[in-house]
Amino acid sequence: MLVISCIKQVPDTTQVKIDPVTNTLIRDGIPFIINPYDSHALEESLKLKERYGLRSVALSMGPPNAEATLRKAYALGVDEAILLSDRCFGGADTLATSKVLSAAIERLNKQDKVGVVFCGKQTIDGDTAQVGPGIASRLGFSQLTLVDKIESIDFLRKTIKVRRKLEGRHEIVEAPLPVMITVVRELNRPRYPVVPMRIAAEEMEIKVWDNSVLKLDVNTIGLKGSPTWVSKIFSPERDQGEIIGDGITDPVGTTNLLIDKLLGKELLTV
Amino acid sequence: MKTLLIGEYREGKLLDSTYELLGFAGQLGAETAMLLVGSETQLPSYGGTLYLADAASCGEYNPDLHKKLILDAVQKENPDYIVFLHSSYGWDLAPRVAAALRVAQLSEVIALADGGFEVGCCNAKMRRTVKPAAGRAVVTIQAGAFPALQPGGIPLLQKLSAAGTAALEFIGYEAAEKKDVDLGKAEIIVSAGRGIGKKDNVSMIQALAKALGGELGASRPVVDAGWVEHSHQVGTTGQTVSPKLYVACGISGAIQHLAGMKKADFIIAINKDKDAPIGEIADVLVVADLMQFVPALTAKLAKQ
Ligand SMILES: Cc1cc2nc3c(=O)[nH]c(=O)nc-3n(C[C@H](O)[C@H](O)[C@H](O)COP(=O)(O)OP(=O)(O)OC[C@H]3O[C@@H](n4cnc5c(N)ncnc54)[C@H](O)[C@@H]3O)c2cc1C
Repeated sequence: MLVISCIKQVPDTTQVKIDPVTNTLIRDGIPFIINPYDSHALEESLKLKERYGLRSVALSMGPPNAEATLRKAYALGVDEAILLSDRCFGGADTLATSKVLSAAIERLNKQDKVGVVFCGKQTIDGDTAQVGPGIASRLGFSQLTLVDKIESIDFLRKTIKVRRKLEGRHEIVEAPLPVMITVVRELNRPRYPVVPMRIAAEEMEIKVWDNSVLKLDVNTIGLKGSPTWVSKIFSPERDQGEIIGDGITDPVGTTNLLIDKLLGKELLTV
Repeated sequence: MKTLLIGEYREGKLLDSTYELLGFAGQLGAETAMLLVGSETQLPSYGGTLYLADAASCGEYNPDLHKKLILDAVQKENPDYIVFLHSSYGWDLAPRVAAALRVAQLSEVIALADGGFEVGCCNAKMRRTVKPAAGRAVVTIQAGAFPALQPGGIPLLQKLSAAGTAALEFIGYEAAEKKDVDLGKAEIIVSAGRGIGKKDNVSMIQALAKALGGELGASRPVVDAGWVEHSHQVGTTGQTVSPKLYVACGISGAIQHLAGMKKADFIIAINKDKDAPIGEIADVLVVADLMQFVPALTAKLAKQ
């Protein structure tokens, strides 16, 4: 049985800027990382591999350079890594992305039954939370979101029991396999690659599936198949609060100004 | 334009956040109908159409059944937008509805923009304006982004019922981790952000909180790093607070943090970056290095 993790290569958002002319993200020179939420998805797929002997497959849709991300997945211990890459997949919103990932999962399912698909809760570059649920509804898998603990899998009854993290409490639910699970950070602590694995990963083959393999209608994928339009990306405008004093060169003098302010607002009890 | 709002009900109570949906619809200037899986004893105070299903028979969390009820109401109302809160409930249910209707979903909307919606991206550093390409869409709104609106009145009830077995089996709730502090009731909160640099500096912020007679709060990275307990976290995935005074120390002001504290009466930000977004909502910004300023302030307050 397969356990699949869907991972996305994203620009490190702590470093992105936008191009004021084209209104698109300037990605040049910005390092790429595995979407942090997806690294928890990947880790959990490795845990299930170790715990139940499942075969772990990492899937990533992206440009050819996303290979680097999949190589990292090999270094961490996945059995197979597949890159879904084609010009016509580009510019996809979440609906179109889930279509491509679903087609790949269906294809894998013909070789070996898929038991669990893990996705991150959201991505840090697009910040939407729909790719996983899109896969679940397309493939008719059960959907479990916001999962912070895998309790157990019962292969005889074909069910999985998990804990979901809700506002201020947890919920235990059971669902039939196959299942799509979106995970939150509390689920696990992603491991680091060990050196021999990292060296071995350099030699591993990363399969590339393009649309000649997946054979999707080009009008339903990529930019054309995306029902959401982004008209602009911008940095929010802001009015400043009052800056008082000069706390850098005169921290002590500034504390007086601040204390006066608090006294004026009757926020200090003297 | 018409919206179908999906209200929230949990553990036997109508949630106040339901009124934020009405606030959103109000800003949009849209006609509204609402759907609630709840109880007749807990009706929202609003005079429009309310599709009501009974949580006792449908379950508070039974996504397949709730989806069916919503699709049923969509057919009757023919809305342009089906609107959820971006809570764990909406987060789970909205994409199911969007997929069933084969329409776009716009997640975590924070404001209206001409003809479209604003959503945060890149960890809320930037925003984008998004529009559905065609007609109908599913929208989730960020908690705290739209002021609650309580129009009053008695809803026109349309009862819904649904039958069917659940694909997911609900086994039970597990008690949340116990809280050592209730920030919701605090009058003064002093919060530590990533700018404190290391765990050892938590005590410096704690000392300031004590000097001001307040409680310690924190931003999420500080909690994720294990420096402070989760019960102190302020923001969408932590507590929503409304103290008289909120002091943000080394907090940049990401939307998820702001959502939790922007209702504070008076906000002071201490940050070495004068352009940090927290300055946008702060009443007073002190541009300083925490390591110098905070101990100096605490010492002064002790003398007062
Ligand atoms: C779905 C989701 C939910 C989230 N929920 C929450 C939530 O509930 N609560 C929350 O807080 N966040 C939440 N976040 C995270 C949020 O997006 C931000 O990443 C987070 O709030 C940033 O925390 P910060 O301001 O402490 O850190 P940073 O953004 O790293 O800011 C640190 C600040 O400290 C300043 N600084 C650094 N050194 C010094 C110094 N020596 N002196 C003075 N200033 C200094 C810097 O100028 C900077 O402004 C959530 C994110 C997501 C995606």
